[in-house]
This record gives sequence, C-alpha cells and structure tokens, in this order.
Amino acid sequence: MLNILILGLGQCGNRVLDAVNHEAFGSGGTFAKYYSRQKFPASVKTIAINTAINDLKGLTDTRAKDRFHVPHLHGVGANRALGKKVFDDNKEQIMSEIDKRGSFELIFIITSAAGGSGSSFAPLLVKELKKAYNAQIICIAVLPFREEGSIFLQNTAFCIRELVAESPNGILLVDNQYLKKYAGDIKSAYDKINISVARRVLFLIEALNSEMLMVTDLGDLKTVMNGGIGIGTMGYYEAGKDGTIKSAILGSFKPSGLLFPANVYNEGARAMLIIKGDKKYLDLDLITKTVEELSTDVGQVFKGVLIKKGRPKVLSLFTLNSVPELENLYAAAADAIRFEMDKREQSKKQLDDAFAHIDELEPIY
Amino acid sequence: MNGVRILVIATFFVFVLMTPVVVASGNDSYYIFDNELQVNEGITIETSIHIEVVEVKRIPLERAKFRITSYQRPERMITVFKEDGPQANRYETYSGASIYLDVIGVYSDSVQFRVSGPSNWRVTDYYDVDPEEGGGEVDEAVTVPKLKITRTLDISSVQQGQTAKVTFKIKNDGNGTASEIELDEPTIKGAYREGCPTTLDDIAAGATERVSYDLKIVDVEPGTYELNPTLLNYKSESGTSYSSESSSNVLVIVAEEVLAPELEIKLTIESDDDVIICGERFSVTVRIDNTGNATTGRITVKSHLPDDVRVAGGEIDPVYESIKPGDYEEYEVTMIAYEPGKHVIKMDVLWADEEASASAEFWAERSGFDKYYIYILAAIPIVLILLWLIKRRREYSF
Repeated sequence: MLNILILGLGQCGNRVLDAVNHEAFGSGGTFAKYYSRQKFPASVKTIAINTAINDLKGLTDTRAKDRFHVPHLHGVGANRALGKKVFDDNKEQIMSEIDKRGSFELIFIITSAAGGSGSSFAPLLVKELKKAYNAQIICIAVLPFREEGSIFLQNTAFCIRELVAESPNGILLVDNQYLKKYAGDIKSAYDKINISVARRVLFLIEALNSEMLMVTDLGDLKTVMNGGIGIGTMGYYEAGKDGTIKSAILGSFKPSGLLFPANVYNEGARAMLIIKGDKKYLDLDLITKTVEELSTDVGQVFKGVLIKKGRPKVLSLFTLNSVPELENLYAAAADAIRFEMDKREQSKKQLDDAFAHIDELEPIY
Repeated sequence: MNGVRILVIATFFVFVLMTPVVVASGNDSYYIFDNELQVNEGITIETSIHIEVVEVKRIPLERAKFRITSYQRPERMITVFKEDGPQANRYETYSGASIYLDVIGVYSDSVQFRVSGPSNWRVTDYYDVDPEEGGGEVDEAVTVPKLKITRTLDISSVQQGQTAKVTFKIKNDGNGTASEIELDEPTIKGAYREGCPTTLDDIAAGATERVSYDLKIVDVEPGTYELNPTLLNYKSESGTSYSSESSSNVLVIVAEEVLAPELEIKLTIESDDDVIICGERFSVTVRIDNTGNATTGRITVKSHLPDDVRVAGGEIDPVYESIKPGDYEEYEVTMIAYEPGKHVIKMDVLWADEEASASAEFWAERSGFDKYYIYILAAIPIVLILLWLIKRRREYSF
C-alpha cells in the first residue's frame, strides 16, 4: 500500500485539503465525520499548515491533530518575504510534524500560488522534503482570480518560478480564473474548484494504489510528470447514459474538464489516463485504440483501467510542452509590477514635492 | 402494822427457802451423783428420791433404764441413751424441783451416769434392789406403751435411678415397753426398699428409736406419688396389741436426666417488614444455641437457598468443633436476592446423628430503580452515541 502525504498550505491549500478529507468520507455528507471513517484508497496522511489560525479553525473535515499552526500573528498578509522568514524560523517544527506521520512514497503539496503563507512556504518545503524523503513530490498550485489584485499576481509569478526552480516531480496547475466560468458566484466557484481538485486527487491515489486491469503506477506518474516543462494539469470526465468509453476518454481532454486552460492536443507532452467503471462499459480494444490515437497528438499516454461499479469515469493527467496561459499571467504580473512601481514612484515624487514646500522652513510657535 | 411486818418477813423466808431450788434448776453443772451403779443398785437423794438401775443395753444403742420414785409421785421408768444429754431426761419432783439424768457409759451390767440438780441436794443412801421385789412392783403396775412414729425423707424430689433415704423416728410416749414391734412399710410400684426392717426391738417407755432404709427408685414413671402411712403393730408387756401409723409423705419422682446436647438454630433477616430489594445486599444472622446439658461434638451447618438467592459475603456453612451447654455460636451472612417474590431460606444444623432445622421467609421486591431499567437501557446507547459524537466533534475542533 502506498504511503501518501497530502499537505495543504495556506488558506487555499487548507480548504482544498479539507475538501479531500470531506470527499474521503464518501457520500455521507456534512455529518459523515460523526459516524463514519475516512475511506482513503491508500495510506494517506494529511496536514493542514497555516500561519493564520482562523483559517485552520474554519476547516470542518480535517482532524484537529492534522492542523498545524505556524505561530505568526494571524498570517503573513500575502507577504512572501515575511512568509519565507516565518518558514525558516519554524522549519524544524514543521518538518518534525511531518516526520511524525512516518515515511512516504508520494507527497502532494496543495497551495495557492498567490497567497502569503502557502506561496512562500511551498518552494521552501519542496526543498526540505526532497532532502528528508525519497518520495515523489507533486505540487498542486492554484492560480488566483486575475482581478484579485497585483500583489497576488506578483506572488503567483514568483511562487511558480521558485517552485520550478526547486524541481519537484511535477506541478499541476489549477486556475481559479479559468474555472470561475463554470460556477456562479465566487463562493460556489471556490467550493466547486476545491471539490474538483479533491476528487481528482483521490481518483489518482485510488488508481495508483489499486489492482488494475491495465496498470499505471507511481513510476508511470513520475514519467508523465517528467515530460515537457514539468508543469501540467488534470482533466476529468464522467460518461453519460448513452456515452461510450471513447467519448469519456476524449471528454477528459476537453477544456471543460481541465483544471487549467490548455490545448492538450497541441501543448501536451505526456499524459496518463485512468479509466474507472463497470466492466461492461470498458471495451479494452476500444480503449487501446483510442489511446493510440491520442498518442499521436499528445505523445506518450499511459493508461490504467480500474474495474469498479458505475458508469465510466476518466481522469487525465498531462504535462505540457508550453503553457501560453502562464505566459499571459506572467505578462500581466509584470505589467502589474511595473504599474505598481510607477505608481509608487509617482506617489513618492508627489510626496517629496509636497514635502518640498516646507524645505528650509522651521515651525514658528 | 404488826400483821404487815409478819407478812413481809414470811415472804422473805419463803423467798430465801426457794432460791436454791431455782438456782439448782438452772445450774446443770452441779452433779448430785456422778458414778457407776450395777443393775439392781439404787441411790436415794435427799431421803425421798429413789433412782434404781433396772437394766442396761449396749446394742443397738447404749442405754440404761432407770426406775425413779419420789414423794407423791408415781413410779416412772426412764430410758436414758448415752449422749442424749441431761436436758432430754428431766424428772420433776413434787416440790417442783427437777433433776436430770445423763448416761456417761454403759457396761455389761452397770452404767455410769450423772444426776444433776439443786446444788444443796446430796445422795443420802445407796442400796440394792431385790429383783423380785422390783419386778413384782412393775408387774403389778398398769403399763401401756404408746408408740409415735414419724417418717421423714431426706429429699422431696428424686430422679429416676436415684435413692431416697427414709428415716423413722419412733418414740414410746407410753409408760410401758413396746415389744414385738412390726413395721409395715408401704412402697411405690417400681421402687425397692433396701435395709428396711420389718420388726424392731422393744422400745421402753420414753425411749426413742431411729430406723432408716434406702428407697431406690428403679422403674417408676416420673410424677408425684403419695407414700402411704407406715403401720406399726406392737404389744405391751402384758401382751395387749396396739398399732399406730405415721402420716403420709409426698415424693416427686422426676425423669432421669440424660446428658445430651440439643441444638436449636434460628435465622434472623435484617430488613424492614421482611421485604428485600432485589439486587441489594441484606444480612442474615444465624444463631445456634446448645439448649442441652452436654457439650456437642463437631457441628456442621448446611444451607438451602432459593436459586436466585446468592451469598455475597460471609461463610454460610461453617463448621464448629463444639458448643458447650448454654453456649451459642452466631454468625452473619450477606445475601442478595435477584428475583422478586417470596423466598424461603432453610438452614440445617447437624451434630452426631441429630439434626435441627430452621427457616426464614422474606419478600423480594424490585427497586424503584428497576422500574426505569428499560428507559435506562434505552438511554445508554443514546448517551454512548452522544459521547461518540462529542468525541468526534472534539477530534475536529481546533
């Protein structure tokens, strides 16, 4: 059985982790935690790490013992520089808390790239985890709504750069801005995004830890994540009443099922397909044929088939050769930084001009 | 006046003359005579009182028979037993003065005796008696024996198998010797007389005989028995037959006391109105009394409890080595009754081949708590669920 650690950093990472814990209870709803136990498909340990204690208190499905508060007032205020310092100050405690959970083969780090604690902790934590564990480290980085402000864009730009620099086994992007269109208001968008990410993560874990008809394993995941620039995303599709397995596979490649806007057929480097469903729906020949067709466009496609009751569900995981949307984000971030710099210089100049009026003057009483 | 003087002087002389007599009567230590006389010898005191030795006998009791004659008094025969003491044999003269006879020793044909009386009295003569003369005088006198018999028992109540001592005191109140005395003693059926004479020796006038025998109670049922009067048949010296009888006696015969232990066992349940609450402890005190008259051997107590009554504390079937008569052993046992209803606790005490039993009843009722038992049972899972929910909630509270 795989030993998996899921770390949720910062407010965003905490909530996605809480959604993972909630989904692990199955279909029991809000009160499932009172009478049921989490049914992780592998040996999964979770820790929510945050400097803001109120964010930790707001979690509902994560055990108290799995919430670790890094003491620094009530958060670092989206200040990554401060966040890095707080991490360095509490590095030993954080690593000790992780170490209590044992050893792992696979570690997920879920964090917002835009916030304070999560975006500043994540690159440093990747570095520490790589030193401490011989495990695959997959970062799930959530990109902000673009209208959230220039600081979040800056944080995102620098966080992603630092993450790539630390070379985790892979970075899976989740774009709030992209997914917002599939939800109504911001609140329901957040909830949907969190649940979507949680279900995909659990699907992936189940596939990696199960006896499968066609096998994908941790090695395949590593290979896939090594493809392209090491950045990718996940897609998902659940077949309808009249849908075929082929349509389900192709559906998981559609933009509507992806967590990050990408043209998989053009930009994809490697892919992994995990197909789950009742055996009667799973035509292996058709699956193989479809995967072969996709390979011509996407590159290497690993496939795994998991026999479970229900209609076919497909999880697709990609790494990309190029990420145009990320370029757009960095461009916007750069504009925001420049705009911020210009504005700050103007403000400073305006303030200096104002102060100039009283140069060489003394107060007279 | 002269007449008065004469009366006073005459009174004084009378007083003076009377004084030695009074003193003598109260002074027993003055012996007028203290010597030995042969049979048919006599002495004369103050020239008017004649005391003659008529006969002496040593068996069965030492005694001597005296014939006393004095002025204006009929002849009197007195039998004096040795050690009777002088006060038992008093002879009063016509003048009112008394003398006392006391036999000191009896020999084959003589007797040593003392005569005490007024201190100024003296033996004035010693003489021999002609037996023919003396006997002739006796034969010529009218002598009638009169025996009075008194029967006494040393105990009024006797156990079966024991012996009562019966004593006859026979006194001859007549002036003649009783002879050919036959004693007819009735008995109680099942009792046997040991040493009871049927005939007695002659009893002289004034003499007293004592005879005893043992009445052994052998096979007599317990009860109160009347011992009928003893009949005495006797004859005077002239051959006339007489009879007398004693009064009857009452003898209580009680059952023979058998030495055996007897145990009684008693149970005491300590509760209000003999009602016990199911499931609650209650005390039972067991007391074993030895009401017999012997110490027991090894004693075993055996209990018989209802199925739903359990011993919660204490030894219910102890073993005792012995219990002395009048003593007891007591112990306490704590029990619990589990089912409502009437319960009977029975206990046996066993010793030797004997057995005694006792039982005690009580009612067991369910407590008020039991009425809510079903609700409490129903509440337990709810409480457990609540506790579980609280625990789970705490697990998720940060």
